[in-house]
Amino acid sequence: MAKIIGIDLGTTNSGVAVMEAGEPTIIPSSEGGRLTPSVVAVSKTGERMVGTVAKRQAVTNPDNTIFSIKRLMGRKYSDSTVKRDIELLPYKITEAPNGDAKVVMGGKEYSPPEVSAFILQKLKADAEAYLGETVTQAVITVPAYFNDSQRQATKDAGRIAGLEVLRIINEPTASSLAYGLAKGKDEKIAVYDLGGGTFDVSILEIEAGDPPVFEVLSTNGDTHLGGDDFDQRLIDWVAAEFKKEQGIDLREDRMALQRLKEAAEKAKVELSTVMQAEINLPFITADASGPKHLTMTVTRAKVEQLVGDLIEQTIPPCRQALEDAKLTTADIDEVILVGGQTRMPAVQEAIKKFFGKEPHKGVNPDEVVALGAAIQAGVLGGEVKDVLLLDVTPLTLGIETLGGVATALVSRNTTIPYHTSQIFSTAADGQTSVEVHVMQGERPMAADNKTLGRFILDGVPPAPRGLPQIEVSFDLDANGILNVSAQDKATGREQHITITASSGLTEEEIKRMVDEAKTHEAEDHKRREEMEARNFADQAAYSADKTLRDLGDKVPDDVRSDVEAKAAAVREALKGQDVDLIQRKTQELTEAIQRIGAAMYEQPGAAPPPPGGEAGPSEPEDEGTVEGEFREV
Amino acid sequence: MKEEVEQKGIEEKLEQEVDELEKARAEADEYLEQLQRSQAEFANYKKRIEREREDFVSLASAALIAKLLPVLDDCERALQTVPHNLRGLTWVEGIALIERRLRMTLEQEGLTEIEAMGKKFDPELHHAAVREETTEYEEDEIISELQKGYTLHDKVLRPSMVRVAARPTDESTEQT
Repeated sequence: MAKIIGIDLGTTNSGVAVMEAGEPTIIPSSEGGRLTPSVVAVSKTGERMVGTVAKRQAVTNPDNTIFSIKRLMGRKYSDSTVKRDIELLPYKITEAPNGDAKVVMGGKEYSPPEVSAFILQKLKADAEAYLGETVTQAVITVPAYFNDSQRQATKDAGRIAGLEVLRIINEPTASSLAYGLAKGKDEKIAVYDLGGGTFDVSILEIEAGDPPVFEVLSTNGDTHLGGDDFDQRLIDWVAAEFKKEQGIDLREDRMALQRLKEAAEKAKVELSTVMQAEINLPFITADASGPKHLTMTVTRAKVEQLVGDLIEQTIPPCRQALEDAKLTTADIDEVILVGGQTRMPAVQEAIKKFFGKEPHKGVNPDEVVALGAAIQAGVLGGEVKDVLLLDVTPLTLGIETLGGVATALVSRNTTIPYHTSQIFSTAADGQTSVEVHVMQGERPMAADNKTLGRFILDGVPPAPRGLPQIEVSFDLDANGILNVSAQDKATGREQHITITASSGLTEEEIKRMVDEAKTHEAEDHKRREEMEARNFADQAAYSADKTLRDLGDKVPDDVRSDVEAKAAAVREALKGQDVDLIQRKTQELTEAIQRIGAAMYEQPGAAPPPPGGEAGPSEPEDEGTVEGEFREV
Repeated sequence: MKEEVEQKGIEEKLEQEVDELEKARAEADEYLEQLQRSQAEFANYKKRIEREREDFVSLASAALIAKLLPVLDDCERALQTVPHNLRGLTWVEGIALIERRLRMTLEQEGLTEIEAMGKKFDPELHHAAVREETTEYEEDEIISELQKGYTLHDKVLRPSMVRVAARPTDESTEQT
């Protein structure tokens, strides 16, 4: 069954995404990037290029390199915006017989949909390479303010590229889907989209339902305000500071400017998470007196000062959009962020101040539109239905094992349905029943976790401890119902218990347990180690006795009394709490046991000793549960 | 009468059962399809992960090496601008040796310089930063390199930043 892709066909950059295992995922381009520049070119030899490669040769081939074709989609040659673009764009724009705007590339005329189709073709090819299968259908996004002919032009572009465009959706709608909104109640959403070159704000109303209905109440913005302007402020300031000190304007040197641009952008990004960033550019330029270096510390405060007015400029369009939608900030339920520049703390602050609520972050703001298109594609393809949205276990599930230790069988965040099983054993010689104590929680000690249920499997034939094989299985179905069973592999006897979700925990409790586990981590680790040391010691003493019993007379008297004494010392140490003492005595005992083996080898005609020194740390195989009372679930 | 009523009751019941059976069949079909789809998706995902895993090691070091390129650039800049009066100094030689060592370490990881000087401009390998009209060079010939480009295991890691020659405009219109 073919996959439907979601495409963000942007003015400067485009992205493509697809639903994978229930989650939208960006598809990388053949060059390895997550975005593809919306640039198409025809070389002098007639070769067509799209994306990064087209961008690289733009300077050598300005007449035949088409960028920002989105500005001409669905427009007539006589449109005022087209007239303005003719002044600004270096490539040729002409009029088609029907009045549409057309571009000239490599001596041929192309309609804007044809040019966009070249971009879509590349995205389609990259998607096919990634998925390993053919792609024939897509969902494509457009700005909320696109009119009918602009939307039709986008659909045509898809068709020309060999894609059946199942739906054209608005960019703010796609963003809302990516943020997981539209999942229950009626809502009013503000989408603040501050990209590289443009600012768009949209007010949407979502009517809950299956499917939910999105209505664009109003849009506003500034087509010449974006992250690039923010970068420019920083570049200009750094260049000015350098000029003050060194008397050279770096912007006049192509290479220095390029390095400065990259460094300024990098600093800006760093300053979203730290309070100051360093710009370090050795040998940035030179004059008669020698080479010059640029080193400067930029603080977050300084950048905020430099771009403060730009951020302020985004507020009036927000106000106007609300007015046009006949709403106040109090009516807005959610605010979502789109566009890389929204990562800046000062921008988020301004948005919070204006709308009076914390904006949603968390989805990569450069990718959110493509991801949203993929979600819509998934819905149309029948993938994302509530029945299929898989859950995860919020907390680790396990059983209690020797020493009160919690042994995990299903780690938290495992996707369900899920099935697993492990072999456990008895803790004491002759143990004829095991108690399975099912728990939920992150702490290593059973007592700190929540009991979900208990049951007993009896009728286990008496045997030395560690010998019986009890298979414990955990089965979680898609509804979160847990079935735990224990089966004695020797007799086939089996017992089980069913635990429904309602005997679990609320979301607050879950969060609390996860947090508690983190704060107690060091402490818990220590306790677990202590427990393990004790188990190990116990096992060593048991092994020692067993070995002495099995070998009987074959063990020389002095070795025997030495081992007995050391084993007694270990048992004595186990009565107390001194973990170091326990470990030391265990070590001495282990060494003594090894002397048994050595002594055996020295005796003529002696049989090879049984593996007596096997007091290893308790593996799941050797752990059993202590016989306990039967308790009602 | 009673028989007729009974008959009707049975007929109705039968219809109900048939309806439910059909619903159940439709549901089963739907589930089967979803199951098949899930399995297929999973299988494809696995295949892709395997492919990506093979690339992973080289991908991981590519990111780090890309970050080191500006440092390599700076080393070159330093050595290209050694002041005259320091040129013979052993200490300066030492810096040159360090730069050489850095370069060789990266080459051993698969880093190769992209040839640019005197070559024809190729957007797969070069990024044209400046276009210069001149008669001294061929059309599209690279005049100079502003920044070195590199490939890592034959994939372009960073294109060379170059100045490209163009025939002066009046000459080119003459040619068409």
